[in-house]
Amino acid sequence: MAATQHTLRTAATIARMEWRLEWRQGHQLAAVGLFAVASVYVAFQASDQRTSASAWTAMLWLVHLFSGFTAIGRLFDRERSQVRRYLQWTAAPLGLMLGKLFHAVITTTALTGIVLGAFVLFLGWPVGIESPGKPGLLILGAWLGGLSMTTTLVFVSAVASQVRGGSGALGAVLGLPLLIPQLILATRLSRGALGDEPWTVLVEYPLFLGALGAGTATIACILFPYIWRE
Amino acid sequence: MKGGWNWIWKGSSIALLAYVILRGFSTPLQPGLVSATPSQLTLEEHTLTLLAVGQPFARENAQASDFELVLRSGDQLLATVLTDVQPHAATAKVRIPSTLPSRALDAFLFTPDAGTLFLGNACFVEDAAKGDIPTEFRAQAPAEAAPKLGFSFPYQPNIMESIRNLLWHVPMWFAMFFIMGLGFVASLAQLRTDSVKWDLRAEAAVRTGVIFGLLGLTTGSLWARWTWGAWWVSDPQLNGALVTVLLYSGYLILRAALGEDDRVGRLAAVYNVFAFVMLVILLMVLPRYTESLHPGKDGNPGFNSYDLDNSLRAVFYPAVIGWGALCYWMYTLRLRMNRIAYSLLSR
Repeated sequence: MAATQHTLRTAATIARMEWRLEWRQGHQLAAVGLFAVASVYVAFQASDQRTSASAWTAMLWLVHLFSGFTAIGRLFDRERSQVRRYLQWTAAPLGLMLGKLFHAVITTTALTGIVLGAFVLFLGWPVGIESPGKPGLLILGAWLGGLSMTTTLVFVSAVASQVRGGSGALGAVLGLPLLIPQLILATRLSRGALGDEPWTVLVEYPLFLGALGAGTATIACILFPYIWRE
Repeated sequence: MKGGWNWIWKGSSIALLAYVILRGFSTPLQPGLVSATPSQLTLEEHTLTLLAVGQPFARENAQASDFELVLRSGDQLLATVLTDVQPHAATAKVRIPSTLPSRALDAFLFTPDAGTLFLGNACFVEDAAKGDIPTEFRAQAPAEAAPKLGFSFPYQPNIMESIRNLLWHVPMWFAMFFIMGLGFVASLAQLRTDSVKWDLRAEAAVRTGVIFGLLGLTTGSLWARWTWGAWWVSDPQLNGALVTVLLYSGYLILRAALGEDDRVGRLAAVYNVFAFVMLVILLMVLPRYTESLHPGKDGNPGFNSYDLDNSLRAVFYPAVIGWGALCYWMYTLRLRMNRIAYSLLSR
């Protein structure tokens, strides 16, 4: 009981600390936002304002993917330094992971808003689509897809941050193959939500995405203590 | 002598694989019809030629009267007159009536020695009106003769001779599952005991498994080119297989990046446990819930939709055991190399 309380308190503290640091060192948050918006603008210029639905979703998810890498890939960077020593003595590993996951969920939610908003602002809707068939599902899909990518990325960057003298590139190398299934599901869901596909066809994609996200988060929580202890 | 009896299973695996290679390539394919020309028929008399592959279904100087060809439209049979029968071809005269229950005609070639050969949708009759076949055009179903083919592999449309790839492609994945499962157990033991001996095992298992995964992808790609017409298609089973192999390549990259770090065993074990869970999800769970071109899409992504017959089984099971044993043998060799390298480095 006491252990659970300790874990939860750690999680809350870590999440609050992450958020405060994020807010005070505003450049980190701004960097991710800038990366996302600039990527969308590149996509807008490259597409020549006439995008098919499949190109639209492909670019949306590429931008989302690489913004996710930028945002989540540095989640454990602080723990490379002396902070790690301090946290190892004071924090419960599971609590630390839960706090990081919570922070990652918040970041991803904001990122989804930025990417999707900028996309619709600059590129508009694909050619032949006045407005998306299921706007709610499009937003939900972007969010859920982002989340299920994020939980995997949290795990991968936790592993990659353990490599001494390693760079962020290792996280991307290890993470990309792991994200292919999520991206396949997410792109199909977005494409379906843009058009007029029936609910019965689309309903399995959010379920799979949610299950993948929850599953990888669970495995990450189970395995994190082994990564963390010295 | 330590491990003195190991030559028994190692020798058996070589013997089994030799048997698989010999039997797999020397066994003939049962005859099967591949095409009918012309495939578009009009309402008149036609000379229809059917071509077959595999073993010859007739002897060199066979009598056409011993054979019988009927065309099926809907549930009614249309008579033909066979004029010539060659080892891999049959020619028949057929008069098309003006009314047919269905415009698509299936061909049934009844042979005295090779059983009944079937070609679905052999020809189409564009101008036929819907209706019964007039009585004078109808055929009675001839008596079927039991095939006397001997040991041969079943004919499957599209797959044809490439059915032999079953003996290579499928055992590669079985061997990979087996050795990755071994690596998973070793990694769990590593996390429990934090002992380097389990880490050496996990590394050897994954390195061997990646080789078999790559072989599985290669043989699968060859097969896809033959049966589906492309080296690679987007399909849940194929995506899962590719991601799995990439994932385990990531394991090797992670180890290389960690280098001499003393935590390499634990971190690699963590990644390996995660990778195996993903393997199970990607190759055994997701493909069962989504549409797939790959055989066994409804339920089992394995091979049961190939309705393996006994002749194929007699070679397939030895192939699975032989490749599995060879895979384990490769793993033990790698493990020995790992142990030697470790003892040299930690001296």
